[in-house]
Amino acid sequence: MKRIIIADDSTTARMFIKRCLQIIGLGDAEIIEAEHGKEALTAAKAQPVDLLLTDLNMPVMDGETLVKWVKASPKLSDLPVVVITSAGNPAKEEQLLALGAHRVLNKPVSPPVMMEALADFLDD
Amino acid sequence: MLKHKPLYQAMINAVSQTLENMVFMEVMEHFDRSYEIPAEDLAWNSLLINDPVQGEIRLAMAKTFLRKLTGNIFSIDDEEITEPQMNDIQNELLNTIVGLFLTNLLEDDQEYKMGLPELGEEEWPEADANTIIWKLMTDEEDALQIHAAGASLVAMKDE
Repeated sequence: MKRIIIADDSTTARMFIKRCLQIIGLGDAEIIEAEHGKEALTAAKAQPVDLLLTDLNMPVMDGETLVKWVKASPKLSDLPVVVITSAGNPAKEEQLLALGAHRVLNKPVSPPVMMEALADFLDD
Repeated sequence: MLKHKPLYQAMINAVSQTLENMVFMEVMEHFDRSYEIPAEDLAWNSLLINDPVQGEIRLAMAKTFLRKLTGNIFSIDDEEITEPQMNDIQNELLNTIVGLFLTNLLEDDQEYKMGLPELGEEEWPEADANTIIWKLMTDEEDALQIHAAGASLVAMKDE
């Protein structure tokens, strides 16, 4: 069973992402919800995780800082990180990809977009 | 001077994209330009844009509409709806609308910074000379009102 962290300060956003995951065939994955980057980082360090989906604008620790920390950690650097944000544009996307994010998706994310973004992950 | 695309349409497209994707509702301009959401039923929130322009975007809607949205989104009955759920949906709607608005408005290579949404605790602020107003409604005739306030935002208003 896959283990996926969803980091977003909005309950609504986390619920939408969970629904997308169910629709694209990841309904049996174990979902760990985090309200900010620090909580997500703590969860990722505590147990093996297969995928991290994160928002950018969050209190305590934002998504960009979370990507930097994950990619700088020898233990977590291979963890695929997908950023799902309302604050993304091509310039920001380029910056996040350079930091090591796997993909950057714009809110509101739809199941087909999520499926395309996670194609490699779903094939495993 | 900052290069940008037409401001008024950028917001209409942002609201349309957000509501179509999140709640499967279509959005159009309100047929009654003088319509105001009754003050006793009004819920509003706001979000600051910090860069490359400075301003505030405010979203207002009827509490009855917000309640309906909450029930639809969380797939729950009316008696199960809580105020934190309603607040969270309103904030996520505004967050998504503003992100799409800035993406639609600014050139692709232009970075932007926005704050976090905050619920309006006091009365819905009156529009002044430095406020652009969008009066919108869904295909079910539920009203939404958006204000963009701030001199540098208003300076981007279409001719």
